[in-house]
Amino acid sequence: MNREELSERNTSCASRDARYEIMEYAVETFSLTKIFSDWWGRDKVYAVDDLNLQIRYNEVFGLLGPNGSGKTTTLKMLLGLLYPTKGRALCLGGDGADPKISARIGFLPEESYLYRYLNARETLDFYGRLFGLPAKVRKMRIEALLDMVGLKAVANRPVGTFSKGMARRIGLAQALINDPDLLILDEPTTGLDPIGTRQIKDLILELKKRGKTVLLCSHLLADVEDVCDRIAILYGGKIQAEGHVKNLLLQANKRQITTSDISDTAVEKIKQLIQGEHADCVVSSPMDKLETFFIKTVETAQQQAQPTSGAVSTTRIGGFLAPETPVENILDKLVSEPVSQETPPEPPTTERVVPVETSEPKPDEQLLNKLTEPTRPVSPKPVVRSEKVKTEPGQAEAPKPEQVKKDILERLTDHPTHEKEDSE
Amino acid sequence: MNSIWAVATNTIKQALRMKIAAVFIILLLILLPVMGTAMTGDGTMKGRLQTFISYGLSLTSFLLCLLTIVVSIYSLTSDIQQRQIYTVITKPVRRFQLLFGKLLGVILLDVALLVLFSAIIYAVAIYIPTYFNANEADLIQLDNEFYTARNGLIPAEVDVSPEVLEAYDKLKKSGRLPEDVPREKIIARLTEDQRRWKRAAVPGQQLIWEFQKVKPLDPKQSLFIRFKYDVSVNPPDLNVYGIWTVGDYRQIKYGTKIETPIRNFDRKDLIRTFHEIEVPANVVAEDGYLAVGFLNVPMNNTVVIFPPEDGLEVLYEADTFTGNFIRAVLLILFRLIFLACLGILASTFLSFPVAILLCLVVFFTATVSGFCLESFDFLGENLSWVYFYTIRPLILFLPQFDKFNPAQFLVPARLLSWPLLAKVAGLMICIKALLLLLLALLIFSFREIAKVII
Repeated sequence: MNREELSERNTSCASRDARYEIMEYAVETFSLTKIFSDWWGRDKVYAVDDLNLQIRYNEVFGLLGPNGSGKTTTLKMLLGLLYPTKGRALCLGGDGADPKISARIGFLPEESYLYRYLNARETLDFYGRLFGLPAKVRKMRIEALLDMVGLKAVANRPVGTFSKGMARRIGLAQALINDPDLLILDEPTTGLDPIGTRQIKDLILELKKRGKTVLLCSHLLADVEDVCDRIAILYGGKIQAEGHVKNLLLQANKRQITTSDISDTAVEKIKQLIQGEHADCVVSSPMDKLETFFIKTVETAQQQAQPTSGAVSTTRIGGFLAPETPVENILDKLVSEPVSQETPPEPPTTERVVPVETSEPKPDEQLLNKLTEPTRPVSPKPVVRSEKVKTEPGQAEAPKPEQVKKDILERLTDHPTHEKEDSE
Repeated sequence: MNSIWAVATNTIKQALRMKIAAVFIILLLILLPVMGTAMTGDGTMKGRLQTFISYGLSLTSFLLCLLTIVVSIYSLTSDIQQRQIYTVITKPVRRFQLLFGKLLGVILLDVALLVLFSAIIYAVAIYIPTYFNANEADLIQLDNEFYTARNGLIPAEVDVSPEVLEAYDKLKKSGRLPEDVPREKIIARLTEDQRRWKRAAVPGQQLIWEFQKVKPLDPKQSLFIRFKYDVSVNPPDLNVYGIWTVGDYRQIKYGTKIETPIRNFDRKDLIRTFHEIEVPANVVAEDGYLAVGFLNVPMNNTVVIFPPEDGLEVLYEADTFTGNFIRAVLLILFRLIFLACLGILASTFLSFPVAILLCLVVFFTATVSGFCLESFDFLGENLSWVYFYTIRPLILFLPQFDKFNPAQFLVPARLLSWPLLAKVAGLMICIKALLLLLLALLIFSFREIAKVII
């Protein structure tokens, strides 16, 4: 670890936890090996072979590799779902299966294995209770998370009826409910549409800003490239390459110049200049990434208020997820402060989200106002139709939910960007 | 505790929402009232009630046992199979907490359903006489013989070993001992004979049995002498004449002042069937002493024998029907708890179908454990120690559902006492079920949760 990184880390989480000072790595493995034997006890496959992994605190680390390269097996050993044949795995300086440690870990498995008969809200409540969160904190976090992953409108539907992407969102929400220090994500973007993928990537970056460590496991290279600080490429259970993404991908023998639209004569001049250096030069207009193009297209459709029954996400992040600077534990704050005086006594329930207030004078006009709000790139609420309301989308929005949502988020966090966003 | 409770409520939700429990619930809700009206028994009001309570409780117990097996196994195996356990066990939940949570959920569901269905059975049982317009005589009979909890006292076993040895020596001296039969068998045979003789009356002989600790619930009510005659020679009309004396015999023996009444009954009863003599309960002495005498009238001209197993019994009301019913239901609950532990154990290392199979085998074996033990004992005579150290302990480890069948107490209105209930609980839950649970914890704590996927 170089000096810059050290000092950076010390400032960001200096007073957060003394343990950080003692332990260098959030995740560390020592000669981790997993051999799967057959029924007779003969060694069959080396799923993970002598793996030494070090992930620093507040780092986004990507574990890459083709199918069957041992990524998931490594994660399972970190979490105590599998026992190593040899070697040791440490999470946050301890055994991942120890409740004290696992209380600070968030885990999203390769598929969101959910109880089909629970609805979204009950699912999160169940996981919240496993963490022993007090009822009040649980309720607030659940609402904030549902809001964040854009499933508030379908919160009362059994998750068995969710599409893969929606299930993924709930899976992600459950991984965040304990405000984890270490987030272990196994293929977080499978099944998600490009917008969802983009949102997860943004979320990961945002979480990093807030001091979290993220271990990401994927074979979708684009995802990894966008968010990871460091990566390791596994093959046959062994690390084949490891390092900073920038360093690994940098083509040190090439340079790229990006300009605004300049004249052909200017281009010619530059070409001559370069040829003077005896170097090759290619001139072209940069292309948009398909992802960017796709997101733009869908946003346009959303702004035309075309109906959808799927998930809709905001760009917001759950306020309770500890922000980058604050020192105090947000959970303690929520419990100790007289929250009930400030917030509406009852956190918003879906019954409130279900609108249909006939007394509402001109719902369509309000909808329009909201749609034309410039600051929110993905404006979810307008196109969401509550499950219970089968009328046209225009009717499906009342001003109340927005009000309530704003309240929680303000209550939950004093993150400046949110206030700005809301005040606009 | 929080997480145990979370898992428990989730298990209940699963059982209810996945409609596993619904099938059983609907079946019972329909069947129980139908059984109440459709079953006639032997045609009498008492028979009708006995049939209903017997079949109603047995059916409820059977279906709830199946439900318990299915739910307890499904809950954990489906978590492992569908891998929801990945997200549960990686939370700050110890593995034992997960198991306890599942167990607690199943037991709570059982308790709720058991309360519901036993309440229905109880209500129907109470309502049947009104519904079928029972007459006065029927009602009195029901009060005495059905809506009650009678304790049964049988005469204490008499020590006959001196007589047996004497008879053995006699045979030996006279050289009449069969040569190919071992001594133990001859002794056993002689003991049986002697016991029968102690319970036999030659014409003109009086037999007296003494009972201690007879505690009727209410002295104003009746107690019953239940008996069955056996004879050496069948009388022409198949009836035996006898004079019964019931009361504090010490008053006659020592000639003290008569404080409690002594009753005499002249009776003529059919042989080899059960009869009951109703006696006012005030014949019992202050200290719970009671003597019952039978005089074999000389005119019978035959030896009258009271078979050692069920020849004579004194019955008196020791508790109410309601109290007995509640204890009978608790007996069912104990079964369910045992099966829940068994199901949890099976699901820690077996897949759903295999675990179900195992539990059903155990369940049915336990239901006929008496028969199993008897038949294996018979077969095992030739296998001796192999059998003795393998199959026998296994069967003995199983709970004996047939021995502690609730209907067996409620149908003859027998008292199911708290001490007996505590004994069953101690054996079935505190020892057997606990052992299963410990084994389950051991297996589950050390096994790998995730499957091998590469």
